Amino acid sequence: MLKKLSRKAFRRSLWVYHCNSGACNGCDIEILNILTPYYDVERFGLRLVGSPRHADAMLLSGAVTRPTRPLVKKAYQAIPSPKLVIAVGSCAIGGGCWYDTYHVTGGGDKVIPVDYFIPGCPPRPEAIIYGVALALGLVDKKVAPVDLKQMEFPVDMYRHTRLWEQRNVIYRLLGEEDDRYNLLRSEENGQDSSG
Amino acid sequence: MWLWTKIKQLTLFRKAGRVTLKYPFEPRPAPEGFRGQPLWDHTKCLGCAGCANHCPARTIFLRDLCQELRVLLYDSSRCTYCGRCADLCPEKAITMSDKYELATDNREDITQTIELFMMTCQRCGRCYDMEIKNYLDRLQTLGYRYDSLQVRKVIRLSTAEFQPEWLEKTSTYSRPERLEK
Amino acid sequence: MKAAVVTLNLLYFLALAPLFEGVMRKLTARIQSRQGPPVYQPYLDLAKLIGKDNFNSAGNWVFRLAPLLAFSSVLAALSLLPVAGRASWFSGASDLMTLIYLLTLSGFSLLLGALASGNAFSAVGASREMMTIVMLEPVLAMSLILGAVKSGSFSLAAALSGIGGTKGVSYFLMLSVYLLALQAFVSRQPFDIPEAEVEILEGPYLEYSGPNYALFRYTLNLKRMFYSWLLAAGFLNFFGSPGLILSLVLQTAVILVVCVVVSVIGATHPRFRIDQALKYYAVLVLLALVAVGFGVKGF
Repeated sequence: MLKKLSRKAFRRSLWVYHCNSGACNGCDIEILNILTPYYDVERFGLRLVGSPRHADAMLLSGAVTRPTRPLVKKAYQAIPSPKLVIAVGSCAIGGGCWYDTYHVTGGGDKVIPVDYFIPGCPPRPEAIIYGVALALGLVDKKVAPVDLKQMEFPVDMYRHTRLWEQRNVIYRLLGEEDDRYNLLRSEENGQDSSG
Repeated sequence: MWLWTKIKQLTLFRKAGRVTLKYPFEPRPAPEGFRGQPLWDHTKCLGCAGCANHCPARTIFLRDLCQELRVLLYDSSRCTYCGRCADLCPEKAITMSDKYELATDNREDITQTIELFMMTCQRCGRCYDMEIKNYLDRLQTLGYRYDSLQVRKVIRLSTAEFQPEWLEKTSTYSRPERLEK
Repeated sequence: MKAAVVTLNLLYFLALAPLFEGVMRKLTARIQSRQGPPVYQPYLDLAKLIGKDNFNSAGNWVFRLAPLLAFSSVLAALSLLPVAGRASWFSGASDLMTLIYLLTLSGFSLLLGALASGNAFSAVGASREMMTIVMLEPVLAMSLILGAVKSGSFSLAAALSGIGGTKGVSYFLMLSVYLLALQAFVSRQPFDIPEAEVEILEGPYLEYSGPNYALFRYTLNLKRMFYSWLLAAGFLNFFGSPGLILSLVLQTAVILVVCVVVSVIGATHPRFRIDQALKYYAVLVLLALVAVGFGVKGF
């Protein structure tokens, strides 16, 4: 019974621990901004705590660099469950511009399970408040995947759907940038017969 | 003295009142010129891949599904909202909107996918190749006319790889004085 | 009947302690020109903390024992208090020294917990807390002993009524010392050195999570309410003992006024360093001794 009460109170009083894993501090400044009187986020019950043992949610900013990778994992394990991880900024979501450089793991997703993403570089304080309010259940999501077509092309249905499913191959390109050209060439040769 | 300043400090907050914005419950528009989420206009996009080549975070992908279909995927997991794609687009098909409320719990929610139909050549029936850029032909369709056939040849040649032997030819090249003769 | 009165007093303290913390947070927020959390926010905080995981990161039993010891000793101290000016059920078995002892025990168990954490930050916080306790317990003891000296007996009810009995020099001196030390008893800026200090990452409480931390916070809230109550029932006891409910209401009103003053002072001052605070406390201890001296002499 106490656990149910605690779950209900979880969304109304979230204590936040801010973890900077190699960020440029742009996102950190914006996170600091939401604690100022203008964008006050304490009215939702959030509080910035200094120790992950007291926290419920971790605000992760920065592309996870190699030295900070075990530290982010340790901080995540130090947070008592139930916990939330919110990745702030494009570096924490996918590594930013540096997703394939020598020192960067490429986003919080590769190290700890992330629950909410707040894109932006840096995200506006209003955008961070929106993300936090989304995590607390106060607002609804405003984005949805966009899928557009220029015109209905009369390719036969079977081939069209088969190709459309293969379009997800684009995601494989994220790991195989060097082979992208070979991949394109081989796919085109394979399908060149039917035109 | 100290007490008087403390009392004045206390009365400071009376003037300011309550400055907190009621943000999530009242909308707050972005300032002018704000670079929010880029939006692709599928009626204008050519599939030239200028945006994909220049994206610093390599977050735009283009892929040919078959000869006539090309898919553009803007998977904004790493987008830094720099606006280079919108600056570069020759058709102005990308606008940096002022949407900044992009938080989500699933990274696929902020993707945009466009399926593009590539025109085929009227003579050979094949599509334009992505490797060699066709800006000069497009210039001609927009009205640019060459002065003479020689000029056209030289300019046409410049779409190919640069070869150092052509440097000699440029010393004898003279620009025509008048555009119409 | 007597047991019911004691239970009522305990429930009064337990139920209202987080409310006063909420009032202090809201008032601090208003002074900083922002809309703060709602007034009932600490109740939600405690409810949420109870449901979290309880990590025993230090691995020894002292770590688990410390918050329980702190909370239970404060509860025991609260059950000794006279309600509405009348002696309560436990008065026969306890007196002034038991109260001081139990309060010191709760502060000491915080030290135990901090040192058992095995963390460098906790050790620093523990040393600062130790210094604070060493300097402040005498002030508390002196104010209660003044009442004992004036009324002639060591029982709590007599001591409390004795403090406010004859309003001589000793009364005013002790009142001013207590008011000056109130900010430190209540652990707010400028004196919240050991408590929730972001400089050393919340010092002694660093390794505690979930229910342990909830117990520590509750202990802190109860102690704050106790010190404000002492002011209301000891020094400012102008009304005698008019009746159970009425005196509880009056006490709550005085404690609210004290909370307002404490948070106003807390919001406008920076935090002292430990050596500056110790110099301040040293002066207070000397003044308290002087006040007791006056009381002994009959002023």
